[in-house]
Amino acid sequence: MNKILIANRGEISVRVIRACRDMGIATAAVYSECDRAALHVRLADEAWPIGPSAPRESYLRIDTIIDAARKAGADAVHPGYGFLAENADFAAACRDAGLTFIGPSPDAITLMGSKTAARQAAIKAGVPVVPGTDEPLSDQATDEEVRRVAERIGYPLMLKAVAGGGGKGMRMVASAADLPGALRAARSEAQSAFGDGAVYLERRIMSPRHIEVQLLGDHHGTVLPFVERECSIQRRHQKVVEESPSLAVSPELRRRITTAAASVAKAVGYTSAGTIEFLLDEDGSFYFLEMNTRLQVEHPITEMVTGVDLVQWQIRIARGERLDLDPEALLNPKAHAIECRIYAEDPDNGFLPSPGRIQGLRVPQGPGVRDDSGAYEGGEVPIFYDPMISKLITWGDTRTHAMQRMRRALAEYQVRGIRTTIPFFQWILEDEDFKAARFDTGFIDRKLGKGPLRPIDASHQDLAAIAVAVHLFTTPAANGVAAPAASRWRDAGRTEALR
Amino acid sequence: MIFEIAVGDKLRTVGIVRKGGMLHVDLDGRTHIVDACRISDSVVSMLVQRGDGAAPSRSIDAAFASSQQPARRSLGEGGGDFDVHLDGRTIPVQIRPAGSFGRQNKAGTGAPTTGPQRVVAPMPGKVVRVLVKPGDEVKARQGLVVVEAMKMENELRAARDGRVRDVAVTEGQSVDAGAVLLIVE
Repeated sequence: MNKILIANRGEISVRVIRACRDMGIATAAVYSECDRAALHVRLADEAWPIGPSAPRESYLRIDTIIDAARKAGADAVHPGYGFLAENADFAAACRDAGLTFIGPSPDAITLMGSKTAARQAAIKAGVPVVPGTDEPLSDQATDEEVRRVAERIGYPLMLKAVAGGGGKGMRMVASAADLPGALRAARSEAQSAFGDGAVYLERRIMSPRHIEVQLLGDHHGTVLPFVERECSIQRRHQKVVEESPSLAVSPELRRRITTAAASVAKAVGYTSAGTIEFLLDEDGSFYFLEMNTRLQVEHPITEMVTGVDLVQWQIRIARGERLDLDPEALLNPKAHAIECRIYAEDPDNGFLPSPGRIQGLRVPQGPGVRDDSGAYEGGEVPIFYDPMISKLITWGDTRTHAMQRMRRALAEYQVRGIRTTIPFFQWILEDEDFKAARFDTGFIDRKLGKGPLRPIDASHQDLAAIAVAVHLFTTPAANGVAAPAASRWRDAGRTEALR
Repeated sequence: MIFEIAVGDKLRTVGIVRKGGMLHVDLDGRTHIVDACRISDSVVSMLVQRGDGAAPSRSIDAAFASSQQPARRSLGEGGGDFDVHLDGRTIPVQIRPAGSFGRQNKAGTGAPTTGPQRVVAPMPGKVVRVLVKPGDEVKARQGLVVVEAMKMENELRAARDGRVRDVAVTEGQSVDAGAVLLIVE
């Protein structure tokens, strides 16, 4: 394998470029119109334009991307996550074009991509699933038919998109009265997000924790599970903070849940990196939720606690190498790691997206800190894509140590000119329940809406007022962000002085 | 030189003069002596000491960005002209030459607390749902319209109680940043 085309953008594209470079493999990036100056384009060995900014016309265009790979002379394609990463047609198109797809087989993607088929696979492997419908509810099913199915499962329940992911097309239904509205909303969201309006019902586990198991499978029949990740801190069903290991998982439970995950993957002949997600109930029972047939956003925390480079292993597996990692070591974390997903969203304003130019950037550094980012000073966060700009990962000997490092790193992290979720994470890191690892997937929803996240105290307001005055007073008239304003202030100041 | 600076919900009067190598900053009647060192166009390192010398000088690294928050302004919640980044915090501030704040507010160009609210699209996107119709009574924070942008659905809410006067958009419609979606009075 000499050259890999990365069919993605942003931080994950940068992450894959780094893995390739660590292995001495050349990289080809692809970019849409608005991404010409994006970091992944600047860092890659070469870059190929693939069309207009809208994802549908560029990063989701299988034909254009295959064409770029051919022109680049790449012998493999890494899909990253999102976009075409879980698209079986794309994996098949790569194969048909003579390109190695760095991921699982098209069949595995198809099978696990259907939430209902994946449930069947888990059941066959002897792994418990959340009680619910085994078949999708057809688009034609009437409210009355759905209501009958719902009554059999019992309220409260979850409506989920068969093709789902990322919380899209998902609705909680508390009672029969909410069902018709939730059904319409879930179907329409699923239709627009996945082009498939099919949904199914699952009983709602009341206070579950989200526990997931990273796996690697090679082409020689070996499947190895890794120590679990906990991703219970979610907002609108999107993970925002992840950690590994989970304080809720004992060594004995770890043994059982990782064995269960591996048996599902083996049952479907899974290869490459994948993740099996579980709900962990308060009583310690766990249920298969779904399998993600790709590298995950939160993969770095597993890398930091096991010392394994998952992206490099994806590439090695794709080259046909044997997994020769020590299975025991993968289940014994050497550290505790936490990840915060930094989004270009304004937490003080309903998490509205905050795209725009990054006027200034200060990235945290020092021991125990990793910043996987697609951002740079002067760069634009475009409006067309997911607003995640970077992932901040910290680790330490203990969870307490990792949390303290995260607080330190968040305080060092400055992203100026746009709003980000950094203050939101500072608020989470100060929460007593978070500190004690007392949470479930409803944590954020329960805590949010109880007043402003992190009111600015009087002493910091004083310092801000002093800083602004000093800034305006000392800014040379012709430069800096405040330049036009500063001269006006200066004029006003003169007027004031003459009075 | 005198500035009026709004931080949080307070309007501060800040006077500043240079004495020797130091800046003397008078904040609401209390003097701070500041050793200011400009790091770049948008970053200043300050050693701040209270004028009475009672507290040790604090090292404050302050960085500035012009604010890009049309959504905030449109919702009538008051916008910052600057974001000040210091001590791990992001603090929005508004600056006016001394005396102009009162005039601006009287003229109604500041953050309005009365009068019609124009709810505008914070960015280009697609209207997915309109949750109210003309004539509806709405409460503060009530959802009005849902706009999809950056793959997420964003609910725009009423800044305060009122009645929906006009709804200028329909579901499915694409809108540009700044487009007026509806008016609440």
